[in-house]
Amino acid sequence: MRPGRFPGTGRPGHRTILIGLVAGSCFLASGGDRPAMAQTAYNNALEEAPGSWWGPGAGRRLAAESEWPNAFGTLGIVNAAGPIDTRGHPFFEPLGTNGRACVTCHQPADGMSLSVETIQRRWRETNGTDPRFAAVDGKNCPHLPQGEPASHSLLLNRGLIRVFVPWPPRAADGKPIEPEFDLEVVRDPTGCNTHPEHGLHSANPMVSVYRRPRPAINLRYVASNRFGVSPFIGKNGLLASVDPDTKKPVNMNLMADAREPTLKTQMQSAASGHLEMPGTLSPQQIAQILGFELQLYAAQVSSHGAGRLDEAGGPPTLGPRALERGRDGVLGNNTTAYVFPMGEVWKDLPEGTGDTEAARNAFRESVARGHDAFFFRTFWIQDSMHINSVGLGNPIKRTCATCHGMHMLGMDTANGWMDLGTTNLPWAMEPPQDPWSTSKPELPLFRITCKANLPPHPFLGREIYTQDPGRALISGKCDDVGAIVLQQMRALAARAPYFSNGSAPTLREVVDFYDRRYNIQYTEQEKQDLINFLSVL
Amino acid sequence: MKIRYVSLAWLAISLAAVADDARLNFVSCPIVQDTPTVPCWLADYHGERYYLGIQTDVSAEFQPPYLGHQVLVEGVVTNRPRICGGIVLEPVKISVLPELDRSCNTRLPIDPRYTIDFNPRPPGPSLGRLAFADAQPPGPQPVKPPFVTKEFTVFFDFDQGITFRHPRDLMNIVHYAQETRAKNLTVTGYRGAMKLSDGTVLSESEAIAEKRARQLAELLAGAGVTAAMKTSWQAEPVPADGIDDWQSRSAKVVVTP
Repeated sequence: MRPGRFPGTGRPGHRTILIGLVAGSCFLASGGDRPAMAQTAYNNALEEAPGSWWGPGAGRRLAAESEWPNAFGTLGIVNAAGPIDTRGHPFFEPLGTNGRACVTCHQPADGMSLSVETIQRRWRETNGTDPRFAAVDGKNCPHLPQGEPASHSLLLNRGLIRVFVPWPPRAADGKPIEPEFDLEVVRDPTGCNTHPEHGLHSANPMVSVYRRPRPAINLRYVASNRFGVSPFIGKNGLLASVDPDTKKPVNMNLMADAREPTLKTQMQSAASGHLEMPGTLSPQQIAQILGFELQLYAAQVSSHGAGRLDEAGGPPTLGPRALERGRDGVLGNNTTAYVFPMGEVWKDLPEGTGDTEAARNAFRESVARGHDAFFFRTFWIQDSMHINSVGLGNPIKRTCATCHGMHMLGMDTANGWMDLGTTNLPWAMEPPQDPWSTSKPELPLFRITCKANLPPHPFLGREIYTQDPGRALISGKCDDVGAIVLQQMRALAARAPYFSNGSAPTLREVVDFYDRRYNIQYTEQEKQDLINFLSVL
Repeated sequence: MKIRYVSLAWLAISLAAVADDARLNFVSCPIVQDTPTVPCWLADYHGERYYLGIQTDVSAEFQPPYLGHQVLVEGVVTNRPRICGGIVLEPVKISVLPELDRSCNTRLPIDPRYTIDFNPRPPGPSLGRLAFADAQPPGPQPVKPPFVTKEFTVFFDFDQGITFRHPRDLMNIVHYAQETRAKNLTVTGYRGAMKLSDGTVLSESEAIAEKRARQLAELLAGAGVTAAMKTSWQAEPVPADGIDDWQSRSAKVVVTP
């Protein structure tokens, strides 16, 4: 189900990637016959305005409930406050000079994120002229020729936008932070980090990294300050970021690197950066966007394998209405709240009458097993900064839910960055380099050298190689290198690829990554069960 | 009567000697021993294996060491039954040494001889509460006048500054300073040392006392403490005698209303 590499982007893929594609397709197909869909009570937004792409300023109506097809079934979106006429709404209108709106990168059909499939389709539909491909961050680097697929290869092939941050980092008051490490560019396939105007040694030194847009859904949970928030960061004892309006500490769970303390600062930053908007959002615009974001819920609502996910008496965690009803700021790594409360209703189901029902029940049982593998299956978690370093020891024998502990979303609860190895070597996905390989690295590679008068990184030492230093680009801390704020686990079916650097094109690869990283030794059955479970969230 | 006094004095000296003999301070690679439930943590010293503790959760007094690092152990040998094959040290204080040591990589598979209870915390999700929730000190309490000068001591791991262990300590200081509208606050950082059982003395790095003092002051100010702050530090290591030397890795904060 993963779109192939986009024509004209160069850097042809390696054989192993093709094998991965085939494998991914097999797993998606193995969900069995597609059961007939139950009638949905939802309004179908597609009928109101054909086409899944929401262009800026399109003036469409976003229904109170809508469904959006994807490879695994359909995604449901709930506007808890009721239908929205998007005409004049600042989330949907182009506010800047490049023609983009927030919705450009937060598409309803993609769980308010942006799948690489959508990006490729949009390129084909507009011949690369859509504002999504604007030079500021829709290209590998602004200096590259606009409109040539190769210039936009990271966006077209991995769904990555360019994120550029000042180096050295600056504190909230604008003062420079002295980093605990030296940062060098080892590899620069995009040319941006060594570019005289945009690079690390330019007049305005910047580091460019490439990340997936985060889904603007279920943000009441993501931004909740009800659990684990104090003036001091629970994972390292240092000062937590504060809300510039209230001066109170925040949970630091927004963005891959927690650089924005609140949704309000995030939208201002996005407006000036991604939208290239002169000036700032007005208080009215901020209130409108904030109100919209905090009442929006999304989750998979039907599954080709499992049928309706929100039917009465079904697992209480599934579907967007469950998120609307749920409590935010709750730790779910326990058998009282659970991360994803599934109940027992999909366990030990009858065989069913007929092939369709039998296949559906078999799939549902697989989902229930997948949940249990996520929640109860122990393995050794080793050398992961901000999980092994917070009082549990290295290694710890725990489960997925230890890190993905936030009730209903599966993020970490607060101060949620950690190094799972997605961007740091030796675990980050790198193409094979040998005389017979045609593949070439697509992402930059940085060498981090922790200063000799300070403690080394507890697990990676003084010299670290990383595709994206993550939180360390903001904090300047050696032990934050490669630490990324965990992403929510809802609406996964709608928004491949996964991980902040888009390194997992499929859910299968997500599971395989963890299997390799922590030597879990999942069986094939466990892997398929986990994939099925992830696909219905 | 005279004989009785002599006997009691001898007994007291003997107990003290036994207590000192039972202390064991050493540096070693930690070992993790898997069990059907949670893992045990062990360390070898002079041909003997010692039990340090088990994995539970963040509420535990004992927080396990790291493979990939040596661990500094300060414990008292007990005659309790061995756990996971190790002589039980209790109480025990450990500190992970900051530099990497890749040779510390021993992870032992499940041995049917060793079992650990499912309580207080299984290896997976909890039952809805932290393993040692009842033992957790209460959070900051209301402060009633008359407000008095109060001293807080913050302890550190070897050669380390503020870590995940410290938010509770910091919050207690912030709370007291704010509740009493403190006018002055002094922070004094100390450089610790540790006398090992083989007579070796380990001293922390020269700059650590200053780092602790400055970092504490910066964090307290950043968290909203408005008192006038003075920082000082003692660059010479606190003399080590092998008895509770972990207490020398510290900083003192004096809050004056």
